[in-house]
Amino acid sequence: MSEEKFDVIIVGGGIAGSVTALLLARAGLEVVMIERGNYSGAKNMTGGRLYSHCFNGIIPDFAEIAPIERKVMHERVSMMTETSNFTFDYTSDRLAQPGKESYIVLRGIFDRWLAEQAEKAGAMAVNGILVENLIIRDGKVCGVIAGEEQMFADTVVLADGANSQLTTKAGLQRKPVTPHQIAIGAKELFELDEKKIEGRFNLAPGEGSAWLFAGWPSGGMTGGGFIYTNKASVSLGIVVTAAEFINARKSVNELLEQFKAHSAVKPLIEGSKLIEYSGHMVAEGGYGMLPRLYSDGVVAVGDAAHLVINAGYTVRGMDLAVGSAAAAAAAIISAKSRGDFSEKSLSMYKRLLDDSFVMRDMRRFRKYPRFMENRRIFNEYPEMADEIFAGVFVTDGAPQASMFSKIFKTAKKNGLRNLAKDCIKGVSTL
Amino acid sequence: MNILVCCKIVYEEQDISVLPDRGLSYDRAELKLSLYDLNAVEQAVQLSGNIRALSIGGKNKDNGKIKKNLLSRGPQELYIVTDEALSGADTHQTATVLAAAAKKIGFDLILCGEGSADLYAQQTGIQLGELLGVPVISSVSKLTAADGKIIAERTADDSVDVIEAPLPAVVCLTSDINEPRIPGMKDILAAGKKPVTEWSLADLGIAAPEVTVDVISILAPVGKDRKRIIVEGDDKATELFDNIKNEVRS
Repeated sequence: MSEEKFDVIIVGGGIAGSVTALLLARAGLEVVMIERGNYSGAKNMTGGRLYSHCFNGIIPDFAEIAPIERKVMHERVSMMTETSNFTFDYTSDRLAQPGKESYIVLRGIFDRWLAEQAEKAGAMAVNGILVENLIIRDGKVCGVIAGEEQMFADTVVLADGANSQLTTKAGLQRKPVTPHQIAIGAKELFELDEKKIEGRFNLAPGEGSAWLFAGWPSGGMTGGGFIYTNKASVSLGIVVTAAEFINARKSVNELLEQFKAHSAVKPLIEGSKLIEYSGHMVAEGGYGMLPRLYSDGVVAVGDAAHLVINAGYTVRGMDLAVGSAAAAAAAIISAKSRGDFSEKSLSMYKRLLDDSFVMRDMRRFRKYPRFMENRRIFNEYPEMADEIFAGVFVTDGAPQASMFSKIFKTAKKNGLRNLAKDCIKGVSTL
Repeated sequence: MNILVCCKIVYEEQDISVLPDRGLSYDRAELKLSLYDLNAVEQAVQLSGNIRALSIGGKNKDNGKIKKNLLSRGPQELYIVTDEALSGADTHQTATVLAAAAKKIGFDLILCGEGSADLYAQQTGIQLGELLGVPVISSVSKLTAADGKIIAERTADDSVDVIEAPLPAVVCLTSDINEPRIPGMKDILAAGKKPVTEWSLADLGIAAPEVTVDVISILAPVGKDRKRIIVEGDDKATELFDNIKNEVRS
């Protein structure tokens, strides 16, 4: 059989895959992008936020043409206990600066659009096909296998997401991913009238809020709850580190149910209609747990490369996916010009990535995953916030202590040394 | 043998939502190929020959993903007739346009699904044969072709009718005739390069066919409210039983 060979096969048509395909097709390479869903985004459940800076220079008029849900104008972080909730809410014109703003997106819609941009640029999209294996000859990745079929390419780009099996097969993920490197997420999507969303979340038309919760939502385990406002729906969910469930008393579904029933959450979704529910894995091992990113004839991008930052107050994956796609595309275009797709030639990908915001930020937050395993953040501190503010706001006619003594007394309970240590550690890892 | 397969593009039934007034909303409904027509496409591939697909509909049926999906299943090319006058076309209108297009394309055998996934009127194929003046065999569960004729089987309650007809002919196939194949990645890649011919009614030299059926209303059936009686506990079996008994009686 004569081997028809493409320049590049991309496995996965999500953000990382589509952007890689778009840039390679623009450069005139023959690109096939294989997506297991019937369309890009069909299998995606992320309900979250995309930092738009990553599209500067890739899709210059991104803000005008991309199908986004809402522009994030409220950053909210809460510490929640069973019976209380303390939220800070930051809003500022600075969040809206062109090229620096972020958007809530629904990936089922967004990824489809992005894949279409790649197709318009000349990439060939193959949907509804699951790539099960790679063709590897003499240690070099030469193509992909789906069912009985084989397809060959000079370079294979693995963009198959957090649960990538192919990075293992390509020898990039040498050690099995441990439960500490992966979180379990469950999300529900509630349909709600646009005006009601804007009223309940204090938003101007078209504006959205990104909201993360620590404490009660994860049942005191490493993780948290989130709420994102879409155009006419609300994404609400829980993410908890997989390792926590080994000894957990509650399942992720039970946590989600109790989160929805919390008095600070329930009114937000009152009268809405549940239209979708889903679960997925989130890579969050951080910089220290990254797999190898390239080898002979193969590179990994986006979630498949575990390029995700969880910094507690914000979670980033989509912009890193775009950044890694841009670096991978540049490296592959350069490899093509040399006609050399060896590991050495493709190492340019890692160099470009190291110099980009992707690795600068991955390194910046490298200690954070360990810090987040500190249970005080998910247990004692939300309780502490509750006690402090109860002391400040609950008035019963009894003589009031000074604000300082109230805070000091509560803080002392958790051990001032621990608190000081966590503060310093928390700030220094960020 | 020139085989023409008629395919209807319909709304994904899972995406159709029922409005409070029991009307239907297609706002969020994706389009797809009518399920029964996939059997017709598969049968064409199994008979082998020069296979062309034909579809008609309103402008919204001009959907790249569906065209590619259809072509990935085996037809060598696709003809599609779109015109606003054809959105929500009745069976007579559909058959009239299909007949005009079929004449223009040329055919030995036309394959249709037994009915469409949305209305399942089982009319279009039969009317199409009548308009073209060729034999029609419907409810066919087995089909072979040889020497300018076809042999079709219709499964009745306690017998199988075997019918022979000369070509050209129209055959409507039941969904148990075959198992439509799932396209492979090379089929999908190749589909993107296959020719698609797009026609308007003017290209066929016909006016919009007369509407013969007036749709007065389409309403979802009245739903029954859940009783929301929850019985919990190991010793509540009797209570549960009594509840069921009372509900069945009332």
